[in-house]
Amino acid sequence: MTPETAVVQALNGISFGALLFILAAGLSLVFGMMDVVNLAHGAFYMLGAYIALTIVQRTGQFWLALVLAPLLIGALGLVIEPLLLRRLRGRHLDQVLLTIGVSLVIADLIGLTWGREIRSIPFPAGLDHAITIVGGDYPVYRLFVIAFGAALAVVLAVVHRRTRVGALIRAGVDDAPMLAALGVDIDRLFAITFAVGAALAGLAGVIAAPVFGIYPGMDVDYLIYSLVVVVVGGLGTLSGAVAGSALIGPVDTFGKVLFPQFALALIFAVMALVLLMRPTGLLGRIRIAR
Amino acid sequence: MRRFALPAVAVVAAAVLVTFPIWSSPWESSRYATGILRDMLILGILALSLDLLVGSAGMPSLGHAAYFGAGAYAAAIAGQRLGSDDLLLGLGAAILVSAFLALVIGAVAVRAGGIFFLMLTLAFAQMVFAIAFQAADITGGSNGFSGVRRPMLFGLDFNGPDALFHLVAVVFLLVLLLAWRLRSSAYGRALIGLRENERRMRALGYDTTRLKLSAFVLAGAIAGVGGALQAYSIRFVSTNDVGVARSVEAFVSVLIGGASTLVGPVVGAIVVLFIERVMPSYIAFAETVLGLVFIVFVLAARQGIVGLVRASYARVRA
Repeated sequence: MTPETAVVQALNGISFGALLFILAAGLSLVFGMMDVVNLAHGAFYMLGAYIALTIVQRTGQFWLALVLAPLLIGALGLVIEPLLLRRLRGRHLDQVLLTIGVSLVIADLIGLTWGREIRSIPFPAGLDHAITIVGGDYPVYRLFVIAFGAALAVVLAVVHRRTRVGALIRAGVDDAPMLAALGVDIDRLFAITFAVGAALAGLAGVIAAPVFGIYPGMDVDYLIYSLVVVVVGGLGTLSGAVAGSALIGPVDTFGKVLFPQFALALIFAVMALVLLMRPTGLLGRIRIAR
Repeated sequence: MRRFALPAVAVVAAAVLVTFPIWSSPWESSRYATGILRDMLILGILALSLDLLVGSAGMPSLGHAAYFGAGAYAAAIAGQRLGSDDLLLGLGAAILVSAFLALVIGAVAVRAGGIFFLMLTLAFAQMVFAIAFQAADITGGSNGFSGVRRPMLFGLDFNGPDALFHLVAVVFLLVLLLAWRLRSSAYGRALIGLRENERRMRALGYDTTRLKLSAFVLAGAIAGVGGALQAYSIRFVSTNDVGVARSVEAFVSVLIGGASTLVGPVVGAIVVLFIERVMPSYIAFAETVLGLVFIVFVLAARQGIVGLVRASYARVRA
């Protein structure tokens, strides 16, 4: 590997990691608050990409899609939580199973609505050119993904540490029943948390659409990526999502270049290794393995 | 009289099942029905093996297709590489490979409980999928592995859809018998103890990690047998056989039919394949129906179809 390709692949890896962060942050938030691993997270991600596809085809406005798709998927989350998950409050495993059903339904309806072919959308205007890095062309959009992921991490961290909502989230993650006993409307808090998690998945789907593709099966692929990220980084903390995606993004990208034969399996080996050495994940608070 | 009633009914039912292609032959769509029923029995084997984990031991594995697919590939590749049609060789290879895989993955996964176990089994199954996809020189990769040899046993040739159906039905009945025997065995009860109260099992002196791992390996081996039968049936193995969709099919079968009810997973497999294979001829959104059915069962009837039937039967008798 020449130094030039190393730099390019490093940027690819970081931009993939940034995307994984956006995706995993939502999964981790929902888990931290509700003790539910949302297995429909990949379906929400996929829905975000397909809604973006339609908005871009109709209006040509990527930025409109970037705002609208997460809002729509957040609204969907706002319906699903009270309608389905709330009925099983306290039965965490059954809630997880429920999300399998939700993901089957969403994925099938996407297939019926948009067809089952591979689709793509163009880079948004203004980010559709390349700049010269170490003597080669590099697409600006990937740099935008990095910047977007980093900015989102900062915003989420500030919200988490400095705002009232953040205080509620921290308290809910720590001890949700106690928070309810103190008079906080926990039903509303859970519904909003689930909606925000879903919206983050949708946001990741829109961001991913121009570079990482829109295809049937992307729901499962990215659900697995996000699971690996949160297991490696540690569940239920924002810093865990950062650490996990910062590790998995580059590992996956370099793996595909260096060992194409084993690339797809590499991140799982990393996951097993991390779990054996640190049962909580890198920066987690919850023991995943004994 | 009653002592003999149940075994007699079971033997008759088994005979009726195994001879299905023969007595259904006057029927116009006999061939089609035989094919669907064969696939239901194969999914039934997978679901029965998964129920050992989900139902008995309370270990929600969402990656069971990994062992099914490993068995399918092992039987197919062993037959081709060794140029042998021997059924026992194929099944042996399937059991060996899938059990070994379950041992390796289980060694990590059983250290996690509940939701984490589910996440890890799902993730590691995807690793197996990735390997099957990328090791194209051995598995055929995305093109799949075609031309699986039909097996023979002691001069019995299972080449032909009817003969193969008999084979699948007999193995299915053996697996069902094993599951039934396990329920009343000390081992089966220890697994239920794991589900009910793992801490107490540890206090009683059980090595619960080893117990879980042994159940995981046993379930993986049986799943591998199911996979081998599938490879023989359609003479083709694809990455779908190790994919998430197959794992979900098995899991949904167990839950819809009723976990820990012996025949529940089989009933579930029949329902799932009816929705997935028969319904698409009539409606376009069969998979959505499956998702909705699953949601309804998780929400309102966690005990599954067989659990519901038993509960209403108990009410009628009381």
